[in-house]
Amino acid sequence: MLEVDQIKVQAAPAELERIPLVGNQRGPGWLSDRIASVIEGETPGWWKICFAISLTMMTVCFGMILYLMSTGVGVWGVTHPVMWGWAIVNFVWWIGIGHAGTLISAILFLLRQRWRTSINRAAEAMTIFAVMCAGIFPLIHIGRIWYGWWLFPIPNSNSIWPQFRSPLMWDVFAVSTYFTVSVLFWYMGLIPDLAVMRDRAKTKIRKIGYGLFALGWRGSNRHWSNYEKAYLILAGLSTPLVLSVHSIVSLDFSVSQLPGWHTTIFPPYFVAGAVYSGFGMVLTLLIPLRRMLHLEEIITVRHVELMCKVTLATGSIVGYAYLMEFFIAWYSGNPYERFMFFHNRAADPFIVAPLLHIRPAPYWWAFWIMWSCNVMVPQFFWFKKVRTSMLAVFVLSILVNVGMWFERFVIVVLSLQREFIPSNWGYYAPSPVDVLQYLGTFGLFFTFFLLFIRYIPLVAIAEVKGVTPQADAHHPLGGAKIGDKH
Amino acid sequence: MKTIPPPCPEPEVGPKYWRSLEQLADTPEFHQWVEREFPSGASEFTDPVSRRNFVKVMSASFLLAGLGATGCRRPTEKIYPFAKMPLNYTYGVPQYFATAMPSRRGATPLIVKSSEGRPIKIEGNPDFPDGNGGTDHITQASVLSLYDPDRAMRVRRNGSGDSRAAILDFLQSLGKSAGDGTGLAFLLEQSSSPSRDRLQQALTEKFPKAQWCLYEPVDLDAGRQAASLAYGSSVEPSYKLDQAQVIVSVDCDFIGSEQDAHGHIQRFTDGRTLNGKDDPMNRLYTVESLFTLTGLNSDHRLRVPPSMIVAVLARLALNVLKSSDIDQKLRELAAPAESHDAWIVPCAKDLVANAGKSLVLAGYRLPLAAHLLVTAMNDSLGAVNQTVEFHEAPKATGTTFPDLAAALNAGHVQTLIILGGNPAYNAPVDLNWPQAQAKAKTVVRLGYYEDETSWNAASHVDTQWDLPMAHYLESWGDVRTADGTVAPIQPLIDPLFGGITELEVLAAFGAMTPASPYEIVRETFRTLGGKSDDDWGKFLHDGFLAGSAAAKAASPQHNPAELASAINGLKASPAPTKDSLDVVFYRDAKMDDGRNNNNGWLQELPDPITKLTWDNAILLSPVTAQALGVFTNRNVQNQKFFNYRVELTVNGRTITGPIWVQPGLADNTVGLALGYGREKTGRVGTGTGFNAYKLRTTDTLYFASGATVKDLHDNSYELATTQSHWSMEGRPVVREANLAQYRKNPAFAKSMRPEMPPLNLPLYPNPLDTTKKNGLHQWGMSIDLNRCVGCSACMIACQSENNVPIVGKEMVGKSREMHWIRIDRYYSTPLGTSDEKEKGMEEPQAVVQPMLCQHCEAAPCENVCPVNATSHDDEGLNVMTYNRCVGTRYCSNNCPYKVRRFNFFDYNRRPLNHLYKSPLVTVTDGEWELLRWLKNPDKGNLPEDEWQLSRLVKNPDVTVRMRGVMEKCSLCLQRIEQAKIAAKVKARDSGDIRLSEAKGTVPKTACQQACPAGAIVFGDISDPKSTVTKLKAQERTYQVLDFLLTKPRTTYLARVRNPNQDMPDYKELPMPYTTKEYDSAKSGSLEEETSGKGEE
Repeated sequence: MLEVDQIKVQAAPAELERIPLVGNQRGPGWLSDRIASVIEGETPGWWKICFAISLTMMTVCFGMILYLMSTGVGVWGVTHPVMWGWAIVNFVWWIGIGHAGTLISAILFLLRQRWRTSINRAAEAMTIFAVMCAGIFPLIHIGRIWYGWWLFPIPNSNSIWPQFRSPLMWDVFAVSTYFTVSVLFWYMGLIPDLAVMRDRAKTKIRKIGYGLFALGWRGSNRHWSNYEKAYLILAGLSTPLVLSVHSIVSLDFSVSQLPGWHTTIFPPYFVAGAVYSGFGMVLTLLIPLRRMLHLEEIITVRHVELMCKVTLATGSIVGYAYLMEFFIAWYSGNPYERFMFFHNRAADPFIVAPLLHIRPAPYWWAFWIMWSCNVMVPQFFWFKKVRTSMLAVFVLSILVNVGMWFERFVIVVLSLQREFIPSNWGYYAPSPVDVLQYLGTFGLFFTFFLLFIRYIPLVAIAEVKGVTPQADAHHPLGGAKIGDKH
Repeated sequence: MKTIPPPCPEPEVGPKYWRSLEQLADTPEFHQWVEREFPSGASEFTDPVSRRNFVKVMSASFLLAGLGATGCRRPTEKIYPFAKMPLNYTYGVPQYFATAMPSRRGATPLIVKSSEGRPIKIEGNPDFPDGNGGTDHITQASVLSLYDPDRAMRVRRNGSGDSRAAILDFLQSLGKSAGDGTGLAFLLEQSSSPSRDRLQQALTEKFPKAQWCLYEPVDLDAGRQAASLAYGSSVEPSYKLDQAQVIVSVDCDFIGSEQDAHGHIQRFTDGRTLNGKDDPMNRLYTVESLFTLTGLNSDHRLRVPPSMIVAVLARLALNVLKSSDIDQKLRELAAPAESHDAWIVPCAKDLVANAGKSLVLAGYRLPLAAHLLVTAMNDSLGAVNQTVEFHEAPKATGTTFPDLAAALNAGHVQTLIILGGNPAYNAPVDLNWPQAQAKAKTVVRLGYYEDETSWNAASHVDTQWDLPMAHYLESWGDVRTADGTVAPIQPLIDPLFGGITELEVLAAFGAMTPASPYEIVRETFRTLGGKSDDDWGKFLHDGFLAGSAAAKAASPQHNPAELASAINGLKASPAPTKDSLDVVFYRDAKMDDGRNNNNGWLQELPDPITKLTWDNAILLSPVTAQALGVFTNRNVQNQKFFNYRVELTVNGRTITGPIWVQPGLADNTVGLALGYGREKTGRVGTGTGFNAYKLRTTDTLYFASGATVKDLHDNSYELATTQSHWSMEGRPVVREANLAQYRKNPAFAKSMRPEMPPLNLPLYPNPLDTTKKNGLHQWGMSIDLNRCVGCSACMIACQSENNVPIVGKEMVGKSREMHWIRIDRYYSTPLGTSDEKEKGMEEPQAVVQPMLCQHCEAAPCENVCPVNATSHDDEGLNVMTYNRCVGTRYCSNNCPYKVRRFNFFDYNRRPLNHLYKSPLVTVTDGEWELLRWLKNPDKGNLPEDEWQLSRLVKNPDVTVRMRGVMEKCSLCLQRIEQAKIAAKVKARDSGDIRLSEAKGTVPKTACQQACPAGAIVFGDISDPKSTVTKLKAQERTYQVLDFLLTKPRTTYLARVRNPNQDMPDYKELPMPYTTKEYDSAKSGSLEEETSGKGEE
């Protein structure tokens, strides 16, 4: 017989403590209030200042476009043989930034990464605005902007039909598809939240405005069921696009035959770089925002840490790709490839050039900025201390974007500067118009982004509620409570 | 000639269509309706009388609106079109006329293309017995000067406008009051015109006391003077370079800056033609201070400062002349050059061993004694009547220029008549010409521009008349070419701005009859033996008078006495140091003596050696620049050259200018190009370079010594160069070998390429391979690098033919020049230790390579264009559709040869100094540009006079490209199409529409036609008998960047050097080693053919 006292009641092992995705055990009501208050509260002073600056810069952006269109591409620094300059660098850079949003909302959704819910809305908005900024450049960089529509397959009496063998053509389709699907996906996810805003609205204008875009959402079971299905389908559609858009942008280069461009490694390398820079930009935007808008309990340190880890992973892929480029340049034995990588990129006047007995490359510093920002900077994210220090992460995330801009600069400009026939060799220097045009797109980006945070819930209210313990019927805190019982 | 109207329309036969019953009925209502429907003016087209009026009025206003000129008319006298052309003028079909461009002492016979009465393209006369149709860049560019909006356009009396009649009356009265010519002086440029000679003689008889002075700032006459002295009668040497096996050029840039360089190039390259490995090849030795094209093309080059050149020449003479001819003075002169014996002795041996087939040349800068020495050497080497011939030449007589200046200063000249030239700018500075000129009471000046010599309020001259000179394409005249053949100058257009010719002025002054230049020339022609009108017609038609060449001096007797006395006058000058530099003043390759200063094509043409545009510079060798602390090769910012500016002082006179470090220049020597830094010139020339004439005195016309350089520590001045990289970086772009290696392995060029990628089986057949079979012709080009000397005539020919715009200095500084064909120049230094490399910088070899669209069969540009703007035609041309181009510029990025040029701005429609100004904020001719554009989008944003004139020079068969469009060489597609249309018209029902070289129907490209060396050959590669096919079959053929498998249709024939083994600078391999060559040199064999894997 077994005595009662003999029975050892073993306590279940303690569960590993999960850091909650929403801090301080905040409930659904609080979440709604908190997120909606960003919109409903008074316009903060910093918002007004930022908006004024952004609006001015956006005016500069359009002013520069007007100048460019009326005068000619020559106002930029592009020249012979470097026919593509900052415009294409900026295009690829902005497109890269536009990667994080859709990756977060689609791929992480499919992979059931619940932490994405706090950041996906803002990241998707960032994607859309970044792609808008990106889309400006290929259009305005062409010589006769008014004929840009010839790149679209529009039947017309001139018998002008695009040439489908050109990667620029593929770009047109890739970017426009990506933009369309991203906008749809973002808007789909917004519908329940717009309904929340409509329901909370106190003014007529808001009621009508939000009501119009909420498409009559009532939160019924049928609505939710259709919504979930549609969201899943769009996530499924977006996922390949995340990979395709930057792969195709990379083909602009790898289809050509320039040393430094003609590289089969480009598609995965570009995608990894894009995700890397996209997460960098999300961090740059959200770290100050969570502080200013008091969203620390929704966008927690854990979120930041997780994003740092993604950045570290993709940054390391990029670093590997850099090394591989050098290895292949050397291993191929092709003197032109070797020249491009060793003489024309890496040769700095202090170590590499003296070591190899060669002349320093004209833009060695651009290469080394790229190398340090993209390969060395993410290595800091191995340390938890760094990952949890918001200031450190903010600074490093900016460096990530600087590095990625220089990566595109190195690829586009340095490869063109000195390629096959030495008599063609030249040099590229941006003109003030290039610089203002680039800064101008920041104005465009931030104008839209500031309007977004002011008028659209910047965290997906419905989705964030779904990841709180309260949403789980089996959680001690969750479910509908009837009396004391679960 | 009156315009012959186009042929009458054929009588209407066959069915007649009408668009309405009203039209059929031809009712008045219908006419009214037509008038209402169409914009005002349209109905005039139905009325033949007012239509004609309309066209008349419009063409006049189109051509010369706002210029206050008389309009663009055909000359009233009869001129004859070239034989190939139809006798009747057909609108839209260009006409070709024979004429000639006068040069200092000769002329270039030309065929000029005229389109709707506008001369638009200049070509050499291929029928001229002493030519091959090749010309030089200055001749090619002269058509642009015709339409120069800054040329002198009105008669002026003391600066204010006057009439043409007034000046002609005034000249007559001046002539009447001139008495016996005391106090009368004529200042003329050199000319070979028989008519001018005749008028001059007549005037000399009338005014026996008048002074006649010929002045040329750069006088190329020294060779004739020396030969005349040495042979006792006035003879002119002509060099048979094609007959010479060994040529020694002593400071003689016969390829670049000597008289009739294009003729020399033709004969020189004939002596370097290699059709097979056993062909003979000449050898060129050069002694020079500057680095010239001749030095670049030589097999051995000795660089010495100018003060040493005579010594080297004397030393060479010691080794060549018979001992009886050598006196002590020669030995003394030769002594300083003893250190160069290692070079001179084997060179002299080579000369002597090839006696009868060797030739020594001296350049125009050398003193007369040096020329006499050269004449003696050639005589001793048995060159006379072998490699050099002498023919009779008129004697030059008259007052010297310094004497005229002295006479003016002494007040002996009351009336000064200046015909051409620009002495106020280019006279030796010690003569102080502007002041001397002002001493005359009356000055009559005929000039092409209103320039430094024109009336100037500050000069206090009593009366100065300025007459606008007519361009040679607007004038009647005659000339003798270098060999004395008489050629006509026919006007293709009536003087645009009422220009007057030299002949007219002289005739008016002498009150001669006939006074019209046409009659004068006609009269002269009668004295030359052309009696009948048929002779005259043939003369004009052919462009030269056959058999009028000057008589050959049969067996000239050399007179050594002149030499001895001349040599006695020579002084040895001390060797230069860095504190006492030697200065060379040289004739600029483009500006000449400054006369081409306002020609945009020439300003933008890169100098053949320095590749500088829009500027001259103070040339220094690397070692000298380093010693002076102004070495700037590495001071390159943004690929632009911000070189140090220095102050150069010679004999107390100072100029400032930027430094250009020129490898291959003699140490402690300064090279100064003349012709820049004009004070009063047109819109194009203003602000280009510095004026080197300010250092030039009567004693130091070409050389000066004792110059010092002071660094101004200012490097803000930008120099614009089209090629900033000097080295080929070991890449097999230009492939060359020495003659011995070539004979061992004629296919050496193919063994120099990097490993070819393996040929994979294609997944699907290349569609171009099938279209290739459909094409009636397959066009291709072969460029012989052994013939190309880098003279750049092709660049201007292309610019003229294809409406290539100029972009201005700022744009060239940004590498945005538009030339469709460029001449790449690479320096090469030996591999080895850094010391050796450093030394190599001092004594580089150099090569040139014309680079243009290669018309790749697998063109990388085509598949990346998103709008199909560049595509392949079935005859193998890579064609560019400007209308389709949106300007993504991807094609240029993907072109490994980088031969595509992009219109970054509206270069054709906007002033070059306003490119960066948005038309939204600019005002032209007092009108907001946006408004101008809205009113008439086809109007340029240039001031009206520039706009109207700039349109006249355009080739109507080639699209004028707008901004945002990519452009490139089309292999002169318009010429091919014209030839094809002509063949079709001719073929009628026979169906024989194929162009063939045998029938002479294959057109020449503009670059090919201009090339005096015959280096560029275009043709049908599917025709086994065509020249290009045969050239491509040669073993020297290679493709640039062949390993990329772009399969270019343009191939190159590798260069071969012919060095002498006994020379100290002999190297087994030519210097521009490619990586491959270097590897082979290390493993000791260049003979193996290592290709085979790749596709050929």
